[in-house]
Amino acid sequence: MDRGLYIAASGMLAEQVRQDQIANDLANASTAGYKADRTTQQSFGSLLLTNSLTGGTIGSQTTAVQVTGTVTDFTPQPLKDTGEPLDFAVNGDGFFAVRTNQGTRYTRDGQFAANAQGQLTTATGNLVLGRDNQPVTVGADGKVDPRRLIVVLLNNPRKTGDNLVTGTPGAVAGQTAGQVRSGALEGSGADPTQAMVDMIASMRTYEAGQKVIQTIDETLGKAASSVGTVTG
Amino acid sequence: MLEGLRTAAAGMAAQQTKLDAVANDLANANTTGYKRVRVGFADLLYDQAGRPAAEGVTVGHGARAIQTGRGFEQGSLKETGNPLDVAIQGQGFIKIQLSDGRQALTRDGGLHLDGNRRLATSTGALVQPAITVPQGISESDISITRDGTVVAGGRTVGKIEIVNVRSTPGLLSAGENAFVTTAASGNATAAPASTVLTQGALEGSNADMAAAMVDMIDAQRTYQLTSKAIQTADQMMEIANGVKR
Repeated sequence: MDRGLYIAASGMLAEQVRQDQIANDLANASTAGYKADRTTQQSFGSLLLTNSLTGGTIGSQTTAVQVTGTVTDFTPQPLKDTGEPLDFAVNGDGFFAVRTNQGTRYTRDGQFAANAQGQLTTATGNLVLGRDNQPVTVGADGKVDPRRLIVVLLNNPRKTGDNLVTGTPGAVAGQTAGQVRSGALEGSGADPTQAMVDMIASMRTYEAGQKVIQTIDETLGKAASSVGTVTG
Repeated sequence: MLEGLRTAAAGMAAQQTKLDAVANDLANANTTGYKRVRVGFADLLYDQAGRPAAEGVTVGHGARAIQTGRGFEQGSLKETGNPLDVAIQGQGFIKIQLSDGRQALTRDGGLHLDGNRRLATSTGALVQPAITVPQGISESDISITRDGTVVAGGRTVGKIEIVNVRSTPGLLSAGENAFVTTAASGNATAAPASTVLTQGALEGSNADMAAAMVDMIDAQRTYQLTSKAIQTADQMMEIANGVKR
């Protein structure tokens, strides 16, 4: 069967993945410390086509499109002032360290609170770690000195949900750990304008895939009905 | 199938929660001792994307709203001149007993004398421990010192206890400007000495109108933008349907 059909269909499926990703970016347009995603696409292995009669080469043709990776843009975003004593933001690179049941995780979302033991926690109740890698106690005045919080640089950071990130702590080339500020939150990295443009572009690519399938269908229809008929 | 539909719907639901909180703040912009609600967002699970995505390509599933209690910053004080009005300056609450018998905490210091001449809040909740002002002493002869000692006609008749909890987000709103303690908030203990009462004043709401308006616009626009993702997903399904004419 015509391989173009499958190539076009794979292109459409790849755009669906991209669309899902854009929807997630838009849904998180107000999530503090959120980092936007990009999907990267790549052609599947290509085939060398040859003329079956003469054996001469025609050229190469790709067989499909594949989504090969998710790239998260961890660039620091502008901070917004909230005046809330337990809101924190890292001004520059690096992450807050958080103790979870699954081990140490990292976050750029500094919307913290105090638990019943007077320790600083994330909004979801995980303990926030200080420079000594121990939980931080909130002072009697309800405040925490921002210098007490640890800022960790991560290699290969990866999002895991609940605003948490995993990765390998260590020095990263070209990055220095930022300063912690209190009374501020980092804005979301999702750019609504960019997301809208990407969404339209993706939808039109999807539509183009549809047209390709329709055209191939017409061609095949012609082949099935017209070839061999004697026109009179 | 396009998961983006549900992803976007989750994001819209989160914005609705934010809008509800902002509406509550605005409605209480003039409520004595009101503390604004803190709402944040968190992204949801990331999992393997469907075909034709390679191993390790993940797609997120939207956002949810998370409430981190209230912002307990000091509200501005309003001079009222009423001798039974007290405003708390600093961290802490006045201990009261609600009409249903529960012990609670409040920052609403608009007090009055009830039928038995006991100090009570505007909703009738008694100040704990009960403070009774003897008959024949007019309200203007009552003075309340910075540490809460109530002096009526030259005699000390009791002390308004100022308490605090370790985790204010753990407090449960009981309505009537009051909060009750929970296991998450910890028990009420004596507030730091820096917390003082000011007689003849009330603490205004700390809901900031300008900030609430900005939050409202932000929430509404994000809601609108996210709805576009649903529309687009819908159009894409229509295109998929159009493959076979």
